[in-house]
Amino acid sequence: MLAGWILSLLVAAAPAPAPTASGGLYEGKPRVHATLVSDVTQVEPGGTFRMGVHLRMARGWYIYWKNPGEAGLASEVVWDAPRVSTGPLAWPAPEVHRSPDGSITSYGYGGEVVLFARARAQSDVQPPLTVVATVEVLVCEVQCIPARFELTRVLGVGPRQADAAGATLLDAAAARVPRTPTQAGLRVSVRRTTPFVPGQPFEGELTVERADGSPEPLAPTDALVPDRLAGILSVQAVGDGPGRLRLWGKASPDGSSSPPRMAGVVVLASGGAVEVSAPFELPPGLVPHAAAASPPVSRRAPGLPWMLLLAFLGGVLLNAMPCVFPVLALKAYGFARTVHADHGSVRMHALAYSGGILASLMVLAGAVLGLRAAGHAVGWGFQFQEPLFVAVLSGVVLLFALNLLGVFELTVPSHGTGTLVAAVDHAHGPLRSVGEGVLAVVLATPCSAPLLGTAVGFAFAASAPVVLAVFAAVGLGLAAPFCALVLVPGLRQRLPRPGAWMERAKQLLGFALLGTGVWLAGILGSLAGVDGVVRLLAFLVVLALVAWAWGAWRRRPVLLGGLLLVLLTGWVALRFGPGQTAVAGRQAWSEEAVAQGLAQGRPVLVDFTAEWCLSCKFNERTVLTSEAVQSALARTRTQLLVADWTRRDAGIARRLAAHGRAGVPMYLLYSPARPDQPEVLPELLTIDTVVSALERAGTGPGSVGLSTSPSPR
Amino acid sequence: MSHVRLLLAASLSLTTATLAADVGQPAPAFSLRDEVGTPHTLAQYRGKIVVLEWTNPECPFVQRHYAGKTMQRTLASFSGKKVVWLAVDSTSHNTPAKSKSWKAEQGFSYPVLQDASGEVGLAYGAKTTPHMFVIDDKGVLRYAGGIDDDPRGRSTAPTNFVEKAVGALVAGQPVSPSTSDPYGCSVKYGKSS
Repeated sequence: MLAGWILSLLVAAAPAPAPTASGGLYEGKPRVHATLVSDVTQVEPGGTFRMGVHLRMARGWYIYWKNPGEAGLASEVVWDAPRVSTGPLAWPAPEVHRSPDGSITSYGYGGEVVLFARARAQSDVQPPLTVVATVEVLVCEVQCIPARFELTRVLGVGPRQADAAGATLLDAAAARVPRTPTQAGLRVSVRRTTPFVPGQPFEGELTVERADGSPEPLAPTDALVPDRLAGILSVQAVGDGPGRLRLWGKASPDGSSSPPRMAGVVVLASGGAVEVSAPFELPPGLVPHAAAASPPVSRRAPGLPWMLLLAFLGGVLLNAMPCVFPVLALKAYGFARTVHADHGSVRMHALAYSGGILASLMVLAGAVLGLRAAGHAVGWGFQFQEPLFVAVLSGVVLLFALNLLGVFELTVPSHGTGTLVAAVDHAHGPLRSVGEGVLAVVLATPCSAPLLGTAVGFAFAASAPVVLAVFAAVGLGLAAPFCALVLVPGLRQRLPRPGAWMERAKQLLGFALLGTGVWLAGILGSLAGVDGVVRLLAFLVVLALVAWAWGAWRRRPVLLGGLLLVLLTGWVALRFGPGQTAVAGRQAWSEEAVAQGLAQGRPVLVDFTAEWCLSCKFNERTVLTSEAVQSALARTRTQLLVADWTRRDAGIARRLAAHGRAGVPMYLLYSPARPDQPEVLPELLTIDTVVSALERAGTGPGSVGLSTSPSPR
Repeated sequence: MSHVRLLLAASLSLTTATLAADVGQPAPAFSLRDEVGTPHTLAQYRGKIVVLEWTNPECPFVQRHYAGKTMQRTLASFSGKKVVWLAVDSTSHNTPAKSKSWKAEQGFSYPVLQDASGEVGLAYGAKTTPHMFVIDDKGVLRYAGGIDDDPRGRSTAPTNFVEKAVGALVAGQPVSPSTSDPYGCSVKYGKSS
């Protein structure tokens, strides 16, 4: 019933078979004329030929491309030729039409166009060969008129006989069909710079390069004519330097079963056009390592639940980090004591430990929110940029160490039975568990584990409840291994029995904590110089003296006097001036230095690091200073710049934030071919990733698999 | 230079973002008079499912659907449900009289909202006639796109997306698909809008 609608609207001109017809009547005049053309008058059996429909539109009227755009209807040609196989329809590059107010964009052809196909006659093709083309177009000016034609042409069969006029028309049309990048000797790369989230905007870029890596200039306007794209609601492009288009658009709210692709036509400044058909490449560093390991989840948007999971896993991972491990070991020791006590008390310890972690993380989150509100450049590990904070932490670590070494014991005097076991038991009361939880958090913050960077970076850009939720997830993850030890009975039985070895182990852990103290002193040195370290050590000696005195004479006046002495020393000693910041042998980062390197045509690698960042130090020692990376740097003439965030620096914080990070490490690799789009390397570097990234940046960006779809030429 | 381009890109994207209603977001509010002058606002239909049909009696695609009674039959399939159907004409040269005579000719009952300024059409991002929008009882846009999957009018059993969307909303199910490519004539907005 509906099929007849077009016919009923048409006063079809010629019911008799003819190669030419007119239609699209408006105010009594036809607005489109169609002719069936071929490059042969006689077809050779087994030979190839071309046939097409030559459409001529009245002035001001146009028909539509295969993607009509925001309105209209795609033109259609259906071939019927017995014992002839026909290829896909070839579409010359379309023009872009806009409604008078500019709100509706469509793609099509005004004037005239030939839509054509290649064909092959089978060996048993019968004379005469009757070719029928059924053409359906919507022809529009202000009004739109549908038109339908049935064009018929009879060809001879025998030795090939060319149709010169037809061949000329078809050659001209073929010259207007976009070439594949391979035919044009170009490389077209498409990558997105933001994730695809259903219903949300996304951004990306498209680059066109010549074989030698130099950019191919594109048309100044309407350089991209997109085809219909599954999973993408709309996409737009604007020129962004030679050979580059910045893309933005919106993902379909219904999502897509397959990864989105870019397809369409890119118009060159030279007037030619190339076909694009490529999946969106993912910029390295957008998805963290762990997420990449689980593709079904990583495909999804980094929504809140996913971020919370990342934060939780990050928290678990922190337990294994060198900066937290001493505390965990200490906790494990304490646990070995309590495990053989009754279950209720064990559970209480677990709760206290978790509570300590959660409470201090909430305090940290609160501080972060407060500082963020106050407009500070805050990042993960920011406390370590305050020398006083580092000094106080050193004091706490020293006290813990001295306690473990037996210099003093935290017992409640009235309950003191004098036996070692009782003393240790008291020392490991629930309150101590809380304290250990707090210490674990404080020490954990600089160990910005790979997952945590993403989660926290996300959190700093998010609303207050989200920040709190992410921090809570980190805390639960940090507490989880210990709690699992407590709550799973099987694990508990495997712990060794208590005995004299525990006292030795405790002392050993004391030395481990002193090692942590050395690390803290090193951080302070980088913040406040040698003078600062001397001040800190003087303060620590006084602190140790007071602790020893309290251990030797367990009297209240001793404690009070000692506290007074510590406070006084702290007041005098802990005044830190700025230390030297420039580190010899490494060129300091600045946006200008990056621009300068790029201007010389060199790739630029920026190492965002800090003294207190163990992951950064690990990467520097094992990867960046390795021979393979050093030689790759030299080979690609890459400029290495170091952005040292040991002290707070607004410029560095801005750059980190620009890439969704709140802390270090971060590694940016700028290529001279794409100075605005640095590649973000993973937080845990390997020699292979760095070397291959350097080679990419040195030789120009990697290209995507290009279209292999059949093309008429 | 590249900063200027970026700014341009940003402002362009801002424009397009403000020019299209998003599925899943509150539908743009409107207040329009119909062909006999009765005012209609989106807010007054809160609690009901609202179907907006961008229309233009001069458009062959609209004519085809009215000849086939697509819209009337779709609305009839919602009988007994709280569904309001509003046609909207954003054609810059349309007049209430034209809508009135067309309504009499086609014999449908729903109002034709007069949007010759194109303001509401642009707020919704209506591109074609017909272009369909389904808004749920809380005022959230749930479907935007074509009336069906049959731009050429050839199918004997096209999938009616509006019928599907309203059915899903009544049943409390998610709408799928929530968008489709609208097809038809472009909306004839005036130059100044």
